[in-house]
Amino acid sequence: MYNLLMKELKLGVSPFFYILPFLTGALMLIPGWLYFLVILYFCFITIPNMFAGYKTQNDLIFTSILPVTKKDIVKAKVSVIVILELMHIVVAMIYGMISIRLYPNLTSYFFGPSLGFWGLCFIMIAIFNIIFISMYYKTAFKYGAATIASITAAMLFAGGAEWLGIENSFVSDLFKGTGTAHLATQLSILITGIVIFALFTIIAYHIAIKRFEKVEI
Amino acid sequence: MLALDIKNLNKKYEHFHLQNISFQLEKGYIMGFIGANGAGKTTTIKSILNLTRMDSGEIDILGKNMAEHEVELKQEIGSAFGDINFYSRSKIKTLTNVIKRFYSNWDDETYYKYLKKFNLNENKKISELSTGMKVKYSLALALSHGAKLLILDEPTSGLDPVARDNLLDIFQELVQDGEISILFSTHITSDLEKCADYITYIHNGQIINSAEKEQFVDTYLLLNGKKEQLDMIKNKLIAYKTNSFGFTGLIHTKDFDPSSDIKSSAPNLEEIMIYFSKKEDMYV
Repeated sequence: MYNLLMKELKLGVSPFFYILPFLTGALMLIPGWLYFLVILYFCFITIPNMFAGYKTQNDLIFTSILPVTKKDIVKAKVSVIVILELMHIVVAMIYGMISIRLYPNLTSYFFGPSLGFWGLCFIMIAIFNIIFISMYYKTAFKYGAATIASITAAMLFAGGAEWLGIENSFVSDLFKGTGTAHLATQLSILITGIVIFALFTIIAYHIAIKRFEKVEI
Repeated sequence: MLALDIKNLNKKYEHFHLQNISFQLEKGYIMGFIGANGAGKTTTIKSILNLTRMDSGEIDILGKNMAEHEVELKQEIGSAFGDINFYSRSKIKTLTNVIKRFYSNWDDETYYKYLKKFNLNENKKISELSTGMKVKYSLALALSHGAKLLILDEPTSGLDPVARDNLLDIFQELVQDGEISILFSTHITSDLEKCADYITYIHNGQIINSAEKEQFVDTYLLLNGKKEQLDMIKNKLIAYKTNSFGFTGLIHTKDFDPSSDIKSSAPNLEEIMIYFSKKEDMYV
């Protein structure tokens, strides 16, 4: 499994995708922007490009010839996705902290980079993962439909959350008003987000294994 | 010992059916796997490597069941797909460094020996290699992890005659010690005449014949006769072609009466292949 992960990181993922989080993360410095987009860029750019690469380089046959189990093949690929997602979120969080210091008195229309917001980002990525990973492994090479479906779902979640943040006073207060000051509340939203992220990704991984076992290479 | 033992392999697709594929490859020999394009060579090879799921059948490699010991057996199998490239923009060095970690018996010394022997430059990208060089690189990888069975899909197609001959010489050298066995598919029959010990012929998803090379050719006779003689023997022929002088046809040796005055000669592999595919057309 470790060897497969190394194979993914060295061969499968272009170095560009390790740099991208630092570029997209910098968008956190735009004052009052729609920060969900910063994380969504991972879904827009990294995922389709990476999986197009796997397809053109015949990664599926290459990996299947190696002495590894199908389960480990899925595990390595899901791990790479998670590693990149975490990179995107963590880097964006760091830029977010800078952003808060740069514009301390900003009243933002959208969610600011609070801990609670990052919790929502984890949930958004969780939704993305469960759809993308499970759909992709129906064929293990067709990434188009899986990308469209999973991005749509993630965007609907982000859009819905922002809408609630504007329309609903409780949510608005929780993320933008006095609620932001309650570290415990914010932290608990973040932790809930992380738990959902872990849970959804693990479920996606198990569905993927089941589907991949039936895939003809 | 058998390097490869395939029993009653079946695999049904919508438009194609592999039917009861069975053949054996003795350890230390080269088996040529011939058939026209689309006859089922690659599907069979993919089934051996467990890349496609078979509907039924059993595959044993080096005495062990492939379905049960897949990961363990893949340590001992080397494979090359002549027409598929992997990570072609990466350097040989990069690719090898990734691949070698997977094999417990990897030997760097052997690897560099073969790189030198095959004239492969580590710093070249896969896309810069000629078709023959790519096959040689796959061989170098396989030999460095101590593969005992080499499964090669069309390793010689797309190669010029010199490179082909060179590759076939390498195959023969490899099996000399009796440790390594090779199964290679091809539609270039002259390759087999040069180096195969055994021949397995697949046609339309079915094995027509799998035998030792001389025996394989001896199974058939090529007949040359006059028009009047054709009617006498027509039913026994596998297929025939008529021309202004008479006919030529392929027959099972056991069906031919040597006392008849029809001229007979030993066919070459290409003729056997051609007449078998003609057989199909005749019934259409």
